Amino acid sequence: MSTSSTSSAPLPHRSVANIRTPSGAGQSGPSTPLRNISSSFSSPSSLRADDEIIIIEFGTRKLQVGFSGDAAPRGTIWFGPDQLRRAGDFRDWQLGYRYDWRSAAAGGSWARDYELWRYDVRSVDLGLVGDKVERALRDAFTKYMLIDSRPRRMVWVLPSSLPIPLLSAALDSVFTRFQPPTVSLLSSPLALAVGAGVRSALVVDLGWSETVVTSIYEYREVAAKRSIRGGRMLVEQTHNLLAKHLPQSAEGDADSQEHVLSFEECSDITSRLVWCKPHPTTGQEEEDAATRSATVRIPLTSWLSPTTLELPFDDLSEPCETAFFDTQYTLTSFDDDELPLHLLVYRSLLQLPLDVRATCMSRIIFTGGCSAVLGLRKRILDELSHLIQQRGWDPVRGKAVEKLLTNPKLQRPPAAARRSHNNPETAPPAQENVGEERDGVWHDHDHSAAPAASYMEPEPDPIEEQLKRGSGSGSGSGSDQRTSVRGELRVIESVGAWSGASLATHLKTMAVATIDREVWLQHGATGASKPSEVDHKVQRQSLGPGGLMRGSAAGGAWTLGVWGSV
Amino acid sequence: MATAFTPYSYIQCPCSDITPTDRRSGGSPTTPEPDDDDRAFDPRAPRSSFSLYPLEYLMYCEDCHQIRCPRCVAEEIVTYYCPNCLFECPVCVGPLAVTSVETKPDPNLLAAPDNSAAPLAGPYALTCSYCLWTSTEVGIQFDKPNGIHAQLAKLRNGGTTRLTAKERKERRKDPSYKAQPPPPDSQDLDHEAQFANLKAFYQGQLADPNTADAGLALLGDLGFSSPTSLSRIMSIYTGGSLLHDKKAKTRLGAMREALDPDEGLLVASLDESAAISKLRSEGLDGTASTAQLVGQPPNMVEPPLHGNERFLDTLRPVPHLLRTKRSKRCPVCRHIISKPESKVQTTRFRIRLVAGSYIPSISIRQLALSSGTGSGTSASGPAVPGAPLEPLKPAHFLLTFKNPIFETIKVTLGAPATTPGRFASRVTVLCPEFEVDANTDVWDEALKNNAERDRELRRRRGESVSANSGGISSANQLEVGKIWERGRNWVSIVVEVVPASLALAPGNPPLREDEDVLEIPMFVRVEWEAEMAGDEVGAAPSRSNSEAREKRELAYWCVLGVGRIRQR
Ligand SMILES: [Zn+2]
Ligand SMILES: [Zn+2]
Ligand SMILES: [Zn+2]
Ligand SMILES: [Zn+2]
Repeated sequence: MSTSSTSSAPLPHRSVANIRTPSGAGQSGPSTPLRNISSSFSSPSSLRADDEIIIIEFGTRKLQVGFSGDAAPRGTIWFGPDQLRRAGDFRDWQLGYRYDWRSAAAGGSWARDYELWRYDVRSVDLGLVGDKVERALRDAFTKYMLIDSRPRRMVWVLPSSLPIPLLSAALDSVFTRFQPPTVSLLSSPLALAVGAGVRSALVVDLGWSETVVTSIYEYREVAAKRSIRGGRMLVEQTHNLLAKHLPQSAEGDADSQEHVLSFEECSDITSRLVWCKPHPTTGQEEEDAATRSATVRIPLTSWLSPTTLELPFDDLSEPCETAFFDTQYTLTSFDDDELPLHLLVYRSLLQLPLDVRATCMSRIIFTGGCSAVLGLRKRILDELSHLIQQRGWDPVRGKAVEKLLTNPKLQRPPAAARRSHNNPETAPPAQENVGEERDGVWHDHDHSAAPAASYMEPEPDPIEEQLKRGSGSGSGSGSDQRTSVRGELRVIESVGAWSGASLATHLKTMAVATIDREVWLQHGATGASKPSEVDHKVQRQSLGPGGLMRGSAAGGAWTLGVWGSV
Repeated sequence: MATAFTPYSYIQCPCSDITPTDRRSGGSPTTPEPDDDDRAFDPRAPRSSFSLYPLEYLMYCEDCHQIRCPRCVAEEIVTYYCPNCLFECPVCVGPLAVTSVETKPDPNLLAAPDNSAAPLAGPYALTCSYCLWTSTEVGIQFDKPNGIHAQLAKLRNGGTTRLTAKERKERRKDPSYKAQPPPPDSQDLDHEAQFANLKAFYQGQLADPNTADAGLALLGDLGFSSPTSLSRIMSIYTGGSLLHDKKAKTRLGAMREALDPDEGLLVASLDESAAISKLRSEGLDGTASTAQLVGQPPNMVEPPLHGNERFLDTLRPVPHLLRTKRSKRCPVCRHIISKPESKVQTTRFRIRLVAGSYIPSISIRQLALSSGTGSGTSASGPAVPGAPLEPLKPAHFLLTFKNPIFETIKVTLGAPATTPGRFASRVTVLCPEFEVDANTDVWDEALKNNAERDRELRRRRGESVSANSGGISSANQLEVGKIWERGRNWVSIVVEVVPASLALAPGNPPLREDEDVLEIPMFVRVEWEAEMAGDEVGAAPSRSNSEAREKRELAYWCVLGVGRIRQR
């Protein structure tokens, strides 16, 4: 077909826009479907493709890959068992072939083959991580990016909680196999803030392995809190819900077998049907009996024999309740790493200094695969505002409070002391401080601790001052009347971490951690950050200011940015 | 598994051996130490899947004399081409055709191949001839039968029109628009528009004359730079000192936040009760499968969907991906080892150095033996191909090595005495060292005196010329150190295996997929002599012995899948 008519016509192929004209000047569009441009490649291919920067967003279950400056990635590669096969093994395409998920599940990898990595690096084959990254990128480069093998600079968008051995394994593999001259690292919460047009944000990443709430202030991660409640747990709960409704007799000893349905099927049903109930005090539309009794038919093929379940629609909100809220338990009964999501967000805000909190709470960004669960974002926000109404910003809370107040001997040691021995990988320093706020003034109880940045006196905001002075704010003439929103709960949309990174890279605005290939191959491979030599216990370094300081205090020539140093 | 097993062989490209410790050096590969198992190649290890290739997947560099796999070649693009130039069905991946909406699509007509003639009158839709999906199902129809891509980019599902990024940009420049207040409906801000607005906003901020001195140039230095400034970047990024870095402060001071949709700020709407009601009434049938969603390109024309992309009515026609023809170079010496014809229509290659032309192929066949085990047993004909192997009962396999090159090669095999993994089958290579004659062409062969050739063959087999001359079958003895059979450029040898029992102690995890397949890891070393400085090895069989010869060697692991062990 010919599409030459309008110059603004979008390009007919989702992969071609930037092939030859990387700086977005692709107005001409391909005039013919076949474009022989071999002549332009006659130059020695050792030349760098300097103009093209590749942006890769790493997730636990997928990689998103595209060119800097694009609004969206060119392609997404999902991880799955089919990628673990040898070349030339086409059994997945064979008629009647079914992946033997039961034996895989019995070996403990019900969901694992669908993931790039697990954050518990002790159980991870790091070489395999490198191989998986390499194969996924090769696929993406060939299928979606249509690029040759010339070395290209890369920007990686990563969760800042990524353990260093995993990052290191990925860097080893990519630097060796693709020879990018540099790889720059950008944390996904930061990229999300850029992609939302804000400098500060509270990023709620409803991810696969965990939910992470990251506080960004002035383009800087000042605190992060995480809970193991995430997509993996949600799919497990969906599995359990479906298994509960299967005829027990046919399954035999149902208790002995952990999984009775395949991960693939449960994951599919989760993303299609699982939803989240509204907060009880809000938005409970009076439903008539007919809608209440609505049922959903779910055909299942991975069970012992194909069957169809008929579940009440309401039951399909159960996995979400259990995985994310666990409302049957009191809020004080949760460990720090398994907080229900609303409590996690509340505590994240609570730990922030007043000024930072007021800014962040009006810039909440939901992201991650589970933000697609219908109703979940609103539920978290409603629960959150309920908590704030109930408690305000008083950090001392719970039924033990009175005892604590009357008997100082019962006071638990600071979290840092408790966990320094057995579980040092969680607990950002910021949350270890027991602080409280009265009359709008923050009081820090723990004076011995090094002053963490998030507890320091909020500096006068140079930008706000600039705006107040009215000293020209750039584009709009009417912008002076607009003030930024603070102190009220507000959720904003980001174009996403990948697209935010694309913007930041394209505009060359962000300071990112850049690693030179030569430096990495020299020091990364032999230095302390070699995966095999890394002490796994210290891998989940916190994002708190302490963690950041540690990075620079190491005195080395370079570090891995927020991913810390070893 | 009811299907018969087909034996196979995979080769591990030497490039996968990234660790500097060379497992090839030192020690005789023919007799791997039993305690050396951890260093022996384990085809069952998950990583092996990434380094093993069928012979047909491998290339060869004639200059480096090395195998090259898809991971260790440098690729260049010869041609881009479009396999179809239209859209894929979002439901079934079938091709979509432009049809008239007025004339109801008749399934019989659609299936007919001569329906390619343009439909008569508009409006038009994209229709799938396989599953009968049509774009009108998602509320998309077109005014014109051509320029579908451009029309689609301006249409949202449901039929509402949108401004493309370019149109927004032009509108922004338009003074008559500037006077108007910003659009009240921020939900109009689709992904592409939000991205474009943010980009424009940031560019405006950075270009602000008040901050020109600390503007774009300086920032550019920060983003990507030479290693010399690496430590500076690191200290800024990791030191938590953005606010204490004077320069950074000014730079950031240049940027304020986006304040309205026009600048890319989009306040989220969280009420999804309508979507939940829709899910309640439509159930599973109203949603797209995971596979269908994976097939969708990023949706640029809608505001963030947050889960609404699950509904079938948000699916969009999928533009076909372009494909490429690629030539491949050796990454070490930069010589081209594969170059396709640039013409799309042809599948021919101008250059294609496939590994199969340089390294011996291995074919595997099971032998059925009349009685007993070990040496001295004679063959009773081929076994039932693909039949399961009996645990603990010796089985014999014929490995045939065929030499593709024009020199005689010496092959040395090494295999661990037991297979790695949970089920250790015993493996004995009866003849681990042998020569395979050159791949001389048939013409050469015919010139040779038959008798002389016969004598030579016997000599090579180590048989005395006077020994019984009753034909080749008499040589078929299971004898250690003896080959089984020899042909012009091939040699068959026998491998004896004693399959392990697959019985599992209680509490052990069950068999993994294919864990019942008996796979033999085998180290292959091929040695030969070739002319030095020969421009093209294998261009012609060497006849002159006056030229200097050099020793060449190629060594690699391969894995032989010989059969499935019977499970009880
Ligand atoms: Zn290779
Ligand atoms: Zn095309
Ligand atoms: Zn279809
Ligand atoms: Zn070479």
